[in-house]
Amino acid sequence: MKKNKGWFILFVGPILLAFLVVQIIPIFIGMYYSFTDWDGIGNQANWVGLQNYIEIFTQDEGFLHAFAFTTIFAIVSVFIINIIGFGLALLVTKEMKGNNFLRGIFFMPNLIGGLILGFIWQFIFIKAFDWIGAQLGVSALQGWLSTTMTGFWGLVILMSWQLSGYMMVIYISALQGIPESLKEAAAIDGANYLQRLRHIIIPLVAPAFTVGIFLSLSNAFKLFDQNLALTNGGPYNSTQMLALNIYSTAFTYNKLGLAQAKAVIFLFTVAIITLTQLYYNKKKEVEM
Amino acid sequence: MWKKKIKKIVLFIFSILLAVLFLSPLYIVFTNSFKTQKGIFMNVLSLPFGPFFTLENYKEAFIQLNFIHSFKNSLFITIFSTVFIIIFASMAAWMLVRTKTLYSQFIFFLFAASMLIPFQSVMLPLINVMGWLKMLHPVGLIFIYVGFGSSLSIILYHGFIKGIPKALEEAAIIDGCNTFQVFWKIIFPLLKPTTVTVSILNTMWIWNDFLLPQLVINKPQWHTIPLRMFYFFGQYSKKWNLALAGLVIAMIPIVIFYLSAQKHIIKGVTDGSIKS
Amino acid sequence: MKYKKSLVFSLITVLLFSLFLTGCGEKEVNQTDAPTTQKETQKTEKEDKKETVEVDIFQFKVEVAKALEEAAKVYEEEKGNVKINIQTVGGGDDYGAALRAKFQSRQEPDIFNVGGPQDVEDWMDTLEDLSDQPWVDLALPGMLSGATVDGKVYALPFNVEGYGFIYNKRIFKDAGIDVSQIKDFASLEKAVQELDGKIKAGDLKDKYPLLEAVFEMPAKERWVTGLHASNAALSQEFDSSIAAYEAKEIDFKYADAYKAIIDLQANYSANSETKDRLVAVDYATQVDEGLAIERVAMIQQGNWIYGGVYDIDPEVADNLDILPMPIQGGKEDCIPVGVPMHWSINTKSTPEKKEAAKDFLNWLYTSETGKDFVVNQFFFIPPFEGYEDLQPKDSLGKAVKRYSEEGKTTPWVFMGYPTAWGEDVLGVEIQKYLAEKVTWEELVEEVKTKWTESR
Repeated sequence: MKKNKGWFILFVGPILLAFLVVQIIPIFIGMYYSFTDWDGIGNQANWVGLQNYIEIFTQDEGFLHAFAFTTIFAIVSVFIINIIGFGLALLVTKEMKGNNFLRGIFFMPNLIGGLILGFIWQFIFIKAFDWIGAQLGVSALQGWLSTTMTGFWGLVILMSWQLSGYMMVIYISALQGIPESLKEAAAIDGANYLQRLRHIIIPLVAPAFTVGIFLSLSNAFKLFDQNLALTNGGPYNSTQMLALNIYSTAFTYNKLGLAQAKAVIFLFTVAIITLTQLYYNKKKEVEM
Repeated sequence: MWKKKIKKIVLFIFSILLAVLFLSPLYIVFTNSFKTQKGIFMNVLSLPFGPFFTLENYKEAFIQLNFIHSFKNSLFITIFSTVFIIIFASMAAWMLVRTKTLYSQFIFFLFAASMLIPFQSVMLPLINVMGWLKMLHPVGLIFIYVGFGSSLSIILYHGFIKGIPKALEEAAIIDGCNTFQVFWKIIFPLLKPTTVTVSILNTMWIWNDFLLPQLVINKPQWHTIPLRMFYFFGQYSKKWNLALAGLVIAMIPIVIFYLSAQKHIIKGVTDGSIKS
Repeated sequence: MKYKKSLVFSLITVLLFSLFLTGCGEKEVNQTDAPTTQKETQKTEKEDKKETVEVDIFQFKVEVAKALEEAAKVYEEEKGNVKINIQTVGGGDDYGAALRAKFQSRQEPDIFNVGGPQDVEDWMDTLEDLSDQPWVDLALPGMLSGATVDGKVYALPFNVEGYGFIYNKRIFKDAGIDVSQIKDFASLEKAVQELDGKIKAGDLKDKYPLLEAVFEMPAKERWVTGLHASNAALSQEFDSSIAAYEAKEIDFKYADAYKAIIDLQANYSANSETKDRLVAVDYATQVDEGLAIERVAMIQQGNWIYGGVYDIDPEVADNLDILPMPIQGGKEDCIPVGVPMHWSINTKSTPEKKEAAKDFLNWLYTSETGKDFVVNQFFFIPPFEGYEDLQPKDSLGKAVKRYSEEGKTTPWVFMGYPTAWGEDVLGVEIQKYLAEKVTWEELVEEVKTKWTESR
């Protein structure tokens, strides 16, 4: 037993050390600050007890709105991203000419970040959509990003475009792990493609779905760059998401204590949501 | 036979359409990187022909990014971070799967849960801690990347390792291998598809990351490509022509890396060894 | 076979890296070679020239980063025993966050930037009193007010900037509009209507094929509507940012005139029929893809746009000038002019560093070489006396200077607005107003309440 413990420390220890120093300790410091009126300058902060938490729930409509908006966004985009991502993975693992190349293409959106992303997509939504709308006479394509609805879908489209390639990578490695023999056996048994997909492929890559949904969910909840670059919360802060709300509380309003309290609430809520999802999916994995 | 062929062609055309859809935003990056600033704003969607065509952007971006130098820095930081992440995350994940105790589960839970933390909310405390440890330099940055990259990588490895039958290891132990050898000789080679995935996802994130280097690296001689890139974005004026050209240059190495790496997620590598 | 090969390969890599690791793991925990070598070099430097002082500057203006580095080099050569390290935060608006991180990391800079009164109060504990500096007496009237507390000066004003309705002289001339007659809102409105009529009639189509409206209004950029535009009205109510900073409430006496300015821009923009779409218009659309390519004739912006416009079309840039932002019932024929940022010195730095830092800033703004950099390389309008021989060379700098010299200015008071009030309250309300979600009366009521609440 003692020997096992030694190995455990040797194997888990190094990365756990980095993890603790880089993530866990800062979180606890942050939690401490959530009970203070810290302004981020120096370390002096006065203890204010639960005041920040009370303020969030009694006075801060913006935060609650951001919370609701983010939740809806997360549900919609997680659904879309994983379907597209899995679909892409199925497509490029087919034996087909150029699928290696296609993988590269689907993955490339991940290489553009921040400001440049905002620049490109603004042009697409505002100019290109407008132009297409005018040609086809579809007024729904005009005036994008100027209403809450179009801002929302703009974010969903952008996020799906970026992340489905990412999820594709995860699903590819899962699909490649399926023993060829199993698929062949099913084909011989006369199962058509959809049947094979439903009864062989999906159950076997279920763990990857757990990971994929978890990742896209946490990414959707944490979305910051894209939000800032594309809408910056506009129109009238109606598309402001949680991370952006926290950021602006911290660095526009200089209320870092309050921002930390929001982060704590955010963390707990999202942890509950995603861990429920993890638990549920794991259960399903076993069942399948 | 014909039916199959038609199916194949339809699928092929569908893939091409999909590719075009995915590429269209990148088309904007690429075409506009050959235009002058005026050309970009006259018509973003046009092709870079006529009076607004220029190659100067690339030359200028190359110089202003101090490309060779910042490329080396980016490469150094990205490679070491990714390699350390792979080594330590795979080791930890294996141990966490194989140790069925409460604290092992708890540690895995911690790794997973921390994926949910918005970076902005740990930013200042993190920098505070790192400053206190005197780690605000490239090596410290690598350490931070290992810390932040750990969660995703461990989750991915964890999910994969669960599918590997224990019998393989047990056989090796009987052969007299110690735990360390079992892992590196037997397990790690089996993890190859996941290792490639993990390295792709981490490389891409670290290569493009702006915020952390910005916070951690002080000396100009350690500037990475994204850090230099932000010099194209002023308070008011933004040099899109240079930024887009710079982006294309910075994308090339990572696309090459991706294309060559993903070939290694080969079909059937795990076939035969993962049958339970 | 393949399997075996890859196994051997991975083993070798792993062995190599584990060798590497043991070396590096220790390094990570203890000290790394980066700081040690740094220390060594510092040591050797110290031995070489006894009192080499290093001054760290942490600044946010990317536009001047390169020129500032050159200036520092010249200064280093002149002095011989000073080393200036400049770190610039790119990307625009993250400076506040980056500066906090800098202070959290205990690598505090010796020179950094602060904005207006709120910043000065927030950072008070770290600001060195600069009242005894030679440049204090040279400052132009009102230029120090933003960084003065209880009669003490805590920061050096960066430069002077002004904004108003920047217009394309050629277009107005070709439309036959006499700009010299525009001195108040009525005459401005008349000119705008006239130009609008000509654009719509297609009279200017031949010469300016892209021209589609008089104005472009970036309601997405809440600093343009919420800070700058509102400042035109509120600077009639307060005579300095300090006065605004101390005000417990506002009358918003010129709210109607402010509305007139907003409406004028919206009604004569390309989106005059669909004003809610203005909330998606950003700075690039307004300046780069608007004024600079002659798609619109006039925008509300400041002299800082010159460089960006010049990169797109030098000819347009050199044909720009500024029209007043007239507030009906107040001072009409004027533009708001003020100091956007300040240099300050960290009071916690060592005395040697502080001395060197002070000397550098003083050199930059008062020596002949420094002044040349400030005017001709940074393209700043200096907030000090003694620059008589160095006039701004760009069209917009000249225009701001002209307004200043004629006394046709109002101050920048938006620095004294309650934190985030201008952008997050007023700017957001303006977006709602344009989308017809609130009426103007509701808007005024809301922003007044929020002002009082945050005081």
